[in-house]
Amino acid sequence: MSHWTEGLEPGDEDRSLVRPYAITRGRTAPERDDLRLITMVVTVDEHGEKTAARGLEPEHRAILEQCREPSAIAEIAATLNLPVSVTKILVGDLITQGRVAVRPPPTARQAGLNTTLLQAVRDGLEKL
Amino acid sequence: MGWRNSDQDARPERGRSAPAAVKFLVAGGFGVGKTTLVGAVSEVAPVRTEEYLTQASAGVDVIEGLAEKSTTTVALDFGRISISAELVVYLFGTPGQERFWFMWNDLVNGALGAIVLVDTRRLEVSFASIDFFENRGVPFVVGVNCFHGECDRTAEEVREALDLDPDVPLLLGDVRRPEVGRGLMLALVDRLMAQAPPDDTPVGVG
Repeated sequence: MSHWTEGLEPGDEDRSLVRPYAITRGRTAPERDDLRLITMVVTVDEHGEKTAARGLEPEHRAILEQCREPSAIAEIAATLNLPVSVTKILVGDLITQGRVAVRPPPTARQAGLNTTLLQAVRDGLEKL
Repeated sequence: MGWRNSDQDARPERGRSAPAAVKFLVAGGFGVGKTTLVGAVSEVAPVRTEEYLTQASAGVDVIEGLAEKSTTTVALDFGRISISAELVVYLFGTPGQERFWFMWNDLVNGALGAIVLVDTRRLEVSFASIDFFENRGVPFVVGVNCFHGECDRTAEEVREALDLDPDVPLLLGDVRRPEVGRGLMLALVDRLMAQAPPDDTPVGVG
């Protein structure tokens, strides 16, 4: 019986054999549970290019690149083609390192009580 | 660039600020036009994202001592409408298999409200979504997707068949048209505003 890695080209390992939880070094749950699908993430620019790359997985660097323009967790997950929970772990790493800032969404209750916010949404939709 | 401006609500941890984000759900059964609606109103083509959901298999026959949980990958499509530099609306089309997205708390929690799409030829595929939002107290509106611009039922007939509460807005239209999705979102926001206290006490959007 041939081994399952036979037939893979050298160098393929990085692309085809890395499972999502290998990227997170085995972690399956984010350390912080406050990140939501629409938590906005923005890269903190004070790190220079060199220090920004040190000790980071390629996925971390991709997040830093994408979040130069604020992006939601769901958008980051879609770009990285990773499940949302894995993306949250990676974003959590960057928060811990102070490399990104986040803005949590209002709760449904907060937003539902906030007529200023609702009016802003309404005005925006009418202009579409 | 507007989003660089300081904004008391933005609470940037350092320097820059991100826009506030709000979320609407687009629900209904399989094949009712959820992704079509999202695509018609989104400023970008609908994007697909995935999540692993762990389902406790309570009530399911399992051999004692074997795995009691199963993990499923659920995918959904979502779109984005940038209202301004300070405000973004995300529209999430729920996955077709209700029993999976119903337990995806991060998808449901924080949603301001929902658009439930129905297809008059298969009303029953959207019953579960309507029940779900009614039971959770999530405000929703109903959109009757008139495929190819043809509607074979009146609003009253559909309302009666769905046994809808009189104050749930119901609109008919072809969801391929952006103005139909926009009208549904506006009806939803109007419903939210009608429920909001008249006294405008800022709660803070951050």
